[in-house]
Order: sequence, then C-alpha cells, then structure tokens
Amino acid sequence: MASFTASSVSFSCISFSKQNQVSNLRKASLPLSGKGFSSHKLPAFRFRVACAAKPETVTKVVEIVKKQLALPADRDVTGDSKFATLGADSLDTVEIVMGLEEEFGISVEEESAQSIATVQDAADLIEKLLEKN
Amino acid sequence: MKLDCYQRTFAHSSSSLTPIQLPAHLETHLWYVKPSEVKNESLLKQYLDILSPRERENVMQMRGEELRKSALLARTLVRTTIARYQINSQINPRSLKFRKNIHGKPEVDWQFSNDSLPPPLHFNISHTSSLVACGVTVDSQIGIDVEEKHRSIKHTVLSFARRYFSKHEIQFLASITDPQVQKLEFIKLWTLKEAYVKALGKGFSGAPFKTFTIRFKEDSIHQASEIVVDSFDEPTELTSNWQFSLLELANSHYAAICTEKHAASAEGKRNVPTKLTVWKTIPFVVDECVSGTDAVKTIYG
Repeated sequence: MASFTASSVSFSCISFSKQNQVSNLRKASLPLSGKGFSSHKLPAFRFRVACAAKPETVTKVVEIVKKQLALPADRDVTGDSKFATLGADSLDTVEIVMGLEEEFGISVEEESAQSIATVQDAADLIEKLLEKN
Repeated sequence: MKLDCYQRTFAHSSSSLTPIQLPAHLETHLWYVKPSEVKNESLLKQYLDILSPRERENVMQMRGEELRKSALLARTLVRTTIARYQINSQINPRSLKFRKNIHGKPEVDWQFSNDSLPPPLHFNISHTSSLVACGVTVDSQIGIDVEEKHRSIKHTVLSFARRYFSKHEIQFLASITDPQVQKLEFIKLWTLKEAYVKALGKGFSGAPFKTFTIRFKEDSIHQASEIVVDSFDEPTELTSNWQFSLLELANSHYAAICTEKHAASAEGKRNVPTKLTVWKTIPFVVDECVSGTDAVKTIYG
C-alpha cells in the first residue's frame, strides 16, 4: 500500500507564485507519486513540515477512528498511527472512510481510500478534498 | 460425506508438521486456527521464531496483545501451511520467502534454481481477531475472506450498502424485512465481495465494490444454486471464470472462498463444484480435519 504523506500534493499552504501551481493537483485521484512536481525544482523534503493537515482535522480523524475501532479513550492514537496496527480490517477501513465523509461532507474515491495508511494520510486527504470543494 | 483425511493428527514432535499432498486440480484446502485456543507462551515464541525479521517487526508493532497474537498466527499459519506441502523436498517454514505481485497481492517467492519450475501453489489468508484462515489451491487464483457472523457495524446495513454495494445488492438487502437476517446477509455478501477482489489480486480499487454484483442464481425450482458475479466492466466470459463457496465456520464465522474456474469446468453445462477440505489446526501441535462435521456448514457451493 502506498503511504506517501500528503506533503507531496497539498500545495496550497506553500507560498509561491500562483502560476507554478499545477491545476490537476485538485483532483482527488491524482496518484501520490510526486510526479506532479518534476517541473518544480523544489525538493520534496521541504514540504513535509509545512504541509501537514491542521491539528483539528487530525484530532477529528482520531476521534472517528477510536469510535470505529472501539478503542479506549486513553489509547494513544496520533497522526503516525497506522490503521492496520490499530486493528482496522477492510470493513473497519471503509466504515472509517464513511465516517470521515459524513463528518467533513466530502466524497472519497476508492483509489484515494486505498492510499490511506495512517491517520495523517486521512487528515491530509480530507483537507485536500475540502479545498476542492 | 466421505472423509479422506485423518480425523485428528497430533504432531510427532514439537516442531514437526504433518506433511500433506497438494490439493488436486479442482480442489481447495482451507486451514484455520482459533487464537483463543493457542495460549501456550512457549508455543507462541516458537511461532515468532519462524517468522522473517520484517514479519516479526510488523507483529510487534500491532497495538494490543490480541492484535499481536492474531497477526502472529496469520503469518505462522501461512508459513506452516505452505511448508506442509513439501514441494520437491522438505520445506522449513522459516525459509519461505514472500513477495507481492504488481498489485500488492502476496505470493510465495520460491527459491528454486532456474531450471526448476515454481510449483503452481496459490494461497490467500484472511483474519479476524477470533479466527485466522488460509486457503490453498493449485493452478487457480484464490481469494478468501472470513468475518465474525455477529460483527458489529457502526452504520446501518442499508446506508453501508448504498455507499459501497451495487444496485442489485442494495435491492436484495432492502427486501429483507428482518433486521437480524438482513445483517447476516450483509456480512455474507461482504465476505463474498472481499473474496472476489482478493482472488482478482488487484486490490480494493482494482475492482471497486460498486462495479460488480454478487448474486445467488436460482435454478429451475427457484432454489439458490450458485453464486455468480456480474461485472459492469468485465465481459461475461471473464466473470464466469470465478466460482464461490460460502461456509459457516465454527458456528461463529462466515468464510467466503473465490477460486478460478478452469476451462474444462467452465465449458461444462453444469457447474462442477470444487472439492473443499477444511482443517482446524494448531501448528506443530494438532491438525483436525473438520470437513463434514458441525464446524463446517456449507451455505453455498
């Protein structure tokens, strides 16, 4: 399963001139391979710190995940937590995606749903889809 | 039902596996283990020892003892099951290597010299916290999925179905008035759909659930005789390549098995059922052939 951080796709929080923005990044199903930036000379690692989803989004995702997996409230779940290691099977994962869609009013395509491996991936995807709306 | 497997076989020594013949051409073997029945700490340590370092790492990363145990048993079951078939010579479960196909489906990476053909063994595993299963075939792609019959879901059956299932399947579920029956039918349908996607080996997005329908074909006297899949994207010849079985295991789980049909049976007028043999096992300790017993109830197939 691909687990790229969304730092490779959400350009909106970096301040650089509009004409550099690649318009097709707004599509939710863009493969998260970083290919979109071959025309930009910016190194990928610089995005990592600046582009993470808002903490409130991560918190909401954590809440939904804990509820779906019936985890105790004090269980430590963070952005780095992988769904698989928390015990989410495929049915849990689709329910989590449904929960996120309901909570945030977004629509997640199957391809994007498959690329979500961690809580952070989910939060980043949500923000990307919210921007699209 | 004729049983051509020993009822119960105890391992000769604490680290041996009872060898077994590869499944025949139209045969499927299913092995399962119940984590609740494996409590011996030194046995679990023995299992940990046959895993690869990466697998051990993945097991230890699981959050919670129950999750760690079922992750451990999943890898143990795969390794010990495949090792039983002793292709060419004795295979040490620890020495097996695995790789993923282009879509991420795990397969054995046989370590034979270039002039030996890799054996046509296929496997697929599925696990819940309460049951871990491994299906094996020869010459045939296989996908399996197991779920607890009474597994809870957070959304209603119909909202879930409307989001993920096909129109026909939604209608099928909506027509069931008893909510308990509806929930059970939902779980059955889920396992069948998962098993199909896993057999295809293309991952969830390779065959999105909404793009295919699984339904029960009725025979001339309106009895459900066969499980079939219709795909919106694939032509009929391709979807008729797959056959399904649905079982109730240990009174607690549904297990769906999807395997490739072979040319001979696909052309035949009647659906040739695959022979399925099921073992309950505690690797290195005991194997119990449970086909024909109460532990295995065939629902379809």
